[in-house]
Amino acid sequence: MLKHLGIVGAGTMGRGIAQLAALSKINVQIYDVNETILRRSLEHIKADLRKMLNMGKLTSEEFTAIMERIRTRTSLPDLGHCDCIIESVIEDIRVKKDLFKHLDTIANSTAVLASTTSSLPVTSIASLTRNPERVIGLHFFHPVNTVALVEVVKGYKTNTETLNRAIEWVKLLGKDTVIVKDLPGFIVSRVSLPFFSEALRLLGENAAYTEQIDNIVRKAGGFSTGPFEMLDQIGIDTALTEIESLYEQSYGEPRLRPHPFLKQMVESGLLGKKSAKGFYNYEEVK
Amino acid sequence: MKKNKKKSKISNAKTAAKAIKVPSNKKKKETEEHAIQKKEAKHSQEKRKPEKTLVYVLGETPMVEQYAEICIARGYDVYASLNESYLKEQSTFSPSVTITSTIPKNTSIAIELTNTNIPVKKKNLEKLAKALPETAPILSSSVIITATEQSAWIAGKHRLVGIAALPTLIDKPLVEIAPTIYMPKETLDVVSRFFRTINKEIEIVQDRIGMVLPRILCQVINEAAFAIIENIAAPEDIDKAMTLCMQFPRGPIKWAEQIGFDQVYAVLTALYTDLQEERYRIAPILKQMASTGIWWKQ
Repeated sequence: MLKHLGIVGAGTMGRGIAQLAALSKINVQIYDVNETILRRSLEHIKADLRKMLNMGKLTSEEFTAIMERIRTRTSLPDLGHCDCIIESVIEDIRVKKDLFKHLDTIANSTAVLASTTSSLPVTSIASLTRNPERVIGLHFFHPVNTVALVEVVKGYKTNTETLNRAIEWVKLLGKDTVIVKDLPGFIVSRVSLPFFSEALRLLGENAAYTEQIDNIVRKAGGFSTGPFEMLDQIGIDTALTEIESLYEQSYGEPRLRPHPFLKQMVESGLLGKKSAKGFYNYEEVK
Repeated sequence: MKKNKKKSKISNAKTAAKAIKVPSNKKKKETEEHAIQKKEAKHSQEKRKPEKTLVYVLGETPMVEQYAEICIARGYDVYASLNESYLKEQSTFSPSVTITSTIPKNTSIAIELTNTNIPVKKKNLEKLAKALPETAPILSSSVIITATEQSAWIAGKHRLVGIAALPTLIDKPLVEIAPTIYMPKETLDVVSRFFRTINKEIEIVQDRIGMVLPRILCQVINEAAFAIIENIAAPEDIDKAMTLCMQFPRGPIKWAEQIGFDQVYAVLTALYTDLQEERYRIAPILKQMASTGIWWKQ
C-alpha cells in the first residue's frame, strides 16, 4: 500500500506529483533545501486546488483535507517512514547519484526509491546505493496533471517486486504506464528526437523555413504542434542538455547527435518562450 | 537557339495557364467595384471550371484512389490507372472514376504517384509526357527522387512539379510543392490554382529527397524500429507513449503500417543513398517488413 509518499525537490514536477498524490488520498512529505521554493510550491498547489473548488470539482472539506495531506520538510530524514520516495531534482547525474546514496540510508528497508529523470540512466543513478534493486525510474511528463502516461524505467538491477509496486502506485495516481528498458532516452525522448533533429537538419540545409516546417508538420501531418514551436516551449537549453546527454550515453551514435543550431541559440540567449525569443519572437505577444 | 527553346516552353506554360483559366493580370487599373465584380465572376468560374477539367492520376495504391476521390469530390472529371503490380488488388476507386491506362488527350493536369519503383515511375512519366499536350502540368511525387531529376527524363521539362505524396498524408489540408529548376512561374500558378480548387494549402519547399514531412516522419519511424530491435519497450507501448506524451496524431509503428513499410523503406533508402550519412542508416527490421508487409514479432 502507498500511504506515505516522499518527494524530493519542490520544482514544477515535484509539486505536480505532490498535488496528484494528495488528490488520490495519499499523505505527502515534500522536501526541498530551499524554504522559499517549498512555500511557493504550496501556494501554487493551493491556487490550483482553489480553481478546482471554484469549478465545483472539489468541496471545501475536500480542499482542506487535501491541503492537510501535504507537509513540507527541510530535513531529508523526515521522509524515512515513506513507502516510496520520488526524486525530482536537477538533471545532474552526480547530484542524483549522491542523493540516492543518501536516500538509501534514511529510507525504511521496504521503501521504493524512484527518480523522475527524463534522460539519465536509472542504473547509474542507483549505482551508489546498497540496494539498487529497489531503485526505479518514473518518468512523469509535464504538465503532470494532464499527461496520462508515465514511463516506468527498469534499471539493470531493479527487481520485479519494485517494478510491480511502482506500477500499482502510478495507477493509483490515475496514470497509465509503459515499462521501458534503461537505454538512452527511454521511449519518448529517443523516438521523438528525429522529429526535432530532422526539422533542424532541414532548416540547416535551407530546404524550408522555420514557419514552413511547422506549418507542414501541423497541417500535412496532423500534429498539434510543429517541432520548432515545441522546442520553444520546452526551452532550447533544456532540449540541448537532454540531447547532449543521449548522445553522450550512446557513445556518439550519429542519429542522436545534437544540431549545432541549438548550442548557438543557447549561447546567444535564445532559449525559447521563457526568454521571449527562440525560433520565434514572443516579444510582441507580451 | 537555346534561349528560343526556353521561351517557347514558357509560352507553352502560359497556354497551360489559360487552359485552366488563370486570370491574366494585364488589367491592373480597375476600380474597386470592378475588381469585386471580377472576383465574384472569377469565383463562379472557379466553381464551374472543375466540371470541364480532366485530371489523370496514375501510380500506386492507395494514393491514386485517394487523389481521384478528392478530385471527383471537387467536380473534376477523373481518369486513373494503377501501376501493374497493384492491379491484382481489389479496386477501391469511387464509381465516378474512369479507369483506363489510355491517357485522354484533353487531360489538363496529370498526377503521378509512384514512390517505390523508379523504373516504373520513369516509364509513367515518359508515357504522360508523350500523351499530354505540353500545356498540361504533371504533378509528380518527389519523395524518393527529386523533381528536377525526374524532369530530366521527359520532353517539356517545364511542366513537371514535385509534390510530397505518401499514404495517410493525401487527405490532409496542406501539400508540399517542390518546383524544379526548369519550372516557370506560370506552371506554378496553374498548380496553385489546382490545389486551391481541391481545398489544399500549399507550401513551396526546396526540391530535396524526402521533402519535409516524409523525411521527418520516416526518420521517426526508423528510430521507433531501432527501439523495437533493442527491445526498449513493446511496440504497442511505443505507440501509446508517443501519442499520449508527445501528442503525436498516430503512434509511429501503427502509422508505418498504414503508410506501408515498402513506402517508408523507399523514402529511407533514398535519404540514405542521397545523404550518405550513418545517421540515415535504416533499422534492419524495416527492410524485412518492407518485403513481408508485417511488423517483426518477437
